[in-house]
Amino acid sequence: MNRSLLLGSGALLLVLVLAWWLTSRQPKPVLLIPTLTGKPEYCLTCHSDLAQISPSHPVKTFGCVICHGGDALALNADQAHSSMRGGANPSDLSVVQQSCGGGNCHSGTAADNSDHIQRVMGSVQSTYAGAISTMLYTFGAEPDLTARFGIHAVSDDVITTKTGVPALKVFDPATETNPFIKEFATNCLDCHINAKPLTGQPFDRLTGCAACHTPKIDSFSKGQIHKLTTAIPYTQCNTCHNQGNYDLRTMTFVQRTDQPTDRLHNYYQPIAQFTKCEYTLDCVDCHTRTEAMGDGDIHSNETQIQYIQCQTCHGTPSQLPQTKTLTDPNDIAFRLALLNPIVDPKVGDTILVTDKGEPLWNTRVLPDGTYQLVGKATGQVFTFRPVMGSGCTQIGTDQSSAYCHTCHSVQR
Amino acid sequence: MRPNFFHHLHPPTIPAAQARWRYTLGAGGLAIFLMLVLGVTGILEMFYYIPTPDQAGLSIQTITYQVPFGALVRNLHFWAAQLLLIVIAVHLVRVVFTGAYAPPRRFNYLLGLALFVIAILLDFTGYVLRWDIGVQWALVVGTNLIKTIPWIGSELYIILTGSTQPGIATLIRFYAWHIFGLMLGAAILLVWHIFRVRRDGGIAIPPPALRTDNKRITRYELVRREVLAMLFSGAALILLAIFLPAPLDEPITQTAEVLGEARAPWFFLWIQQMLKWGDPFFWGVVVPVLLLVLLALIPYIFPKPADRELGRWFPKSNRLAQVTLAVIVLVVIILSIVARLSMPGGPSAS
Repeated sequence: MNRSLLLGSGALLLVLVLAWWLTSRQPKPVLLIPTLTGKPEYCLTCHSDLAQISPSHPVKTFGCVICHGGDALALNADQAHSSMRGGANPSDLSVVQQSCGGGNCHSGTAADNSDHIQRVMGSVQSTYAGAISTMLYTFGAEPDLTARFGIHAVSDDVITTKTGVPALKVFDPATETNPFIKEFATNCLDCHINAKPLTGQPFDRLTGCAACHTPKIDSFSKGQIHKLTTAIPYTQCNTCHNQGNYDLRTMTFVQRTDQPTDRLHNYYQPIAQFTKCEYTLDCVDCHTRTEAMGDGDIHSNETQIQYIQCQTCHGTPSQLPQTKTLTDPNDIAFRLALLNPIVDPKVGDTILVTDKGEPLWNTRVLPDGTYQLVGKATGQVFTFRPVMGSGCTQIGTDQSSAYCHTCHSVQR
Repeated sequence: MRPNFFHHLHPPTIPAAQARWRYTLGAGGLAIFLMLVLGVTGILEMFYYIPTPDQAGLSIQTITYQVPFGALVRNLHFWAAQLLLIVIAVHLVRVVFTGAYAPPRRFNYLLGLALFVIAILLDFTGYVLRWDIGVQWALVVGTNLIKTIPWIGSELYIILTGSTQPGIATLIRFYAWHIFGLMLGAAILLVWHIFRVRRDGGIAIPPPALRTDNKRITRYELVRREVLAMLFSGAALILLAIFLPAPLDEPITQTAEVLGEARAPWFFLWIQQMLKWGDPFFWGVVVPVLLLVLLALIPYIFPKPADRELGRWFPKSNRLAQVTLAVIVLVVIILSIVARLSMPGGPSAS
């Protein structure tokens, strides 16, 4: 009958087969219904090889979307990712409340020790209030060193410490007239946890919570790092700290030029004094979560929040360090140890605590009266003695680290 | 051969001149085929589409990404809808450029024009049903245009959107218009339009006394040609659907906001461009309505095309109508291109 009809039918059949073939080549959607949301998501269709972010965020419970946002049903990369919060980093402070917040998550109550976001938002690491207030005071824009401005505005209804301030306004460089302060605003606002890091491998880090809790592996540009941890190595702290100095005459940051090959030389600036434990341990082995993330109050500078001293672990010639025997199975020390299981504390163990009662949960008092500390990032075991009973003659009231460094500093 | 149901929908024989591709371009028939495709694919989509603001975008994602061949069905629906407007426009241009609207076909011309308007409204309501941020500008600005109509604007807006701002009532109303109200209108007018083609003596050609070509073709040949056209255009449509997916953005969350750059669907780009010139009621409502009225008046106000010139392109007797339509088409195309070029980043067209 008809060659053209046959041809037409053939053409239609051909494109139908083509449509079927192309459809059959699509990846099979991988469905996940996380127990927390109960809503289907298909992210694992492409991301099945991604490691679980942490044991405390199991993917079957949390899924992906609760933290990352995104279009859970889309199987087209562009669309699936189009509404993600904070790009690849949902912990950026601009979106952290939506990503990580919530009463049962990280914006709960102080009593429940789950007010992480509130504490971080007011901490000097994110407000940069110390540097800003120092500059404003130095150049006569403010009458004292009390912080009034921060990188972001923040307020605090319940002040629990002597140095807490009620609120900070946004530091707005556009309103400044002093050329030095303007210069400071241009060059020096890179050192808070939500700042885009300076260019270069040593500064490579993410922002927000991930600035600290997502330690870099080689370089972020080399691939995805899907990890949140409290085992934070000193190298992560070093992406902001110990990378150089500010030149106050030119208001510029001068990057260190030495190229340290070992940890002793990497740890500090050339002229600094320090003891052995300060370069063999990781920063987080001594400095507590309160010091790093804030205590809930808004402080004017770092010195108001940093309080760990040599004596916290070593005591003084006349006094042993403070300790605590774990009796409550719900003690925060157990929770912290669960997050980073380098130690396995038991009820009845005695551990060191700080002046403010924060548990140094990675330590314990040994039966012979000495102490043990397990490195949070390395798992390395250290034992050490109290000052009391040693030959130390330092008087009890002069216990800042500078006094200890007089005898115990390491030479490079 | 015994004529089957489909053969019986056609006259036993028709003059060969009425069925020449180069005369009709097959545009009317193609429009009917596209409407059939739209009906079938639309019904399939209805099994999955959920017309609520929080589910609409997600259900389209489900159709697109999870339902077997869902993407193909949705893309077919999308491309058939876009092509329908182009094909109807071509059909209109053919009718005017060949003087085919001459009496007794004046009324059918109006029916066709009404079908065109309904098709545009179907395209626009279908576009809004995506309920993603890509349609947000057009949804908010388009419905706000209604408000600018004097006296009845506010009432009309509430009737159309069901509220004081686009929201859940708007979506369900657009959905009802799309799948029921407009579809019903389109179905009735389409059948009427086709009926009138036969009643008016088939496609316009000179009366028997003035014909130079008296060849006729049978209904078998006519159906054969129609099937052939459907096979090839169906294949082309599937190819388009396979390789050019219909746009889909993230679902709308804040309906009251106008987000970002102006981005009307492509068939309203010319109105988007005119809106830049000032008064939204004048440029966004009055001018398009006046243009429509002018189109409707073409068979009534311009010189009647001569009988002997029917059935061929560009008859001398209706030059004025041809020039008028050509100017309208050119202006619409130029305005659309200008609007498209002034969009930074080239957002999705529809």
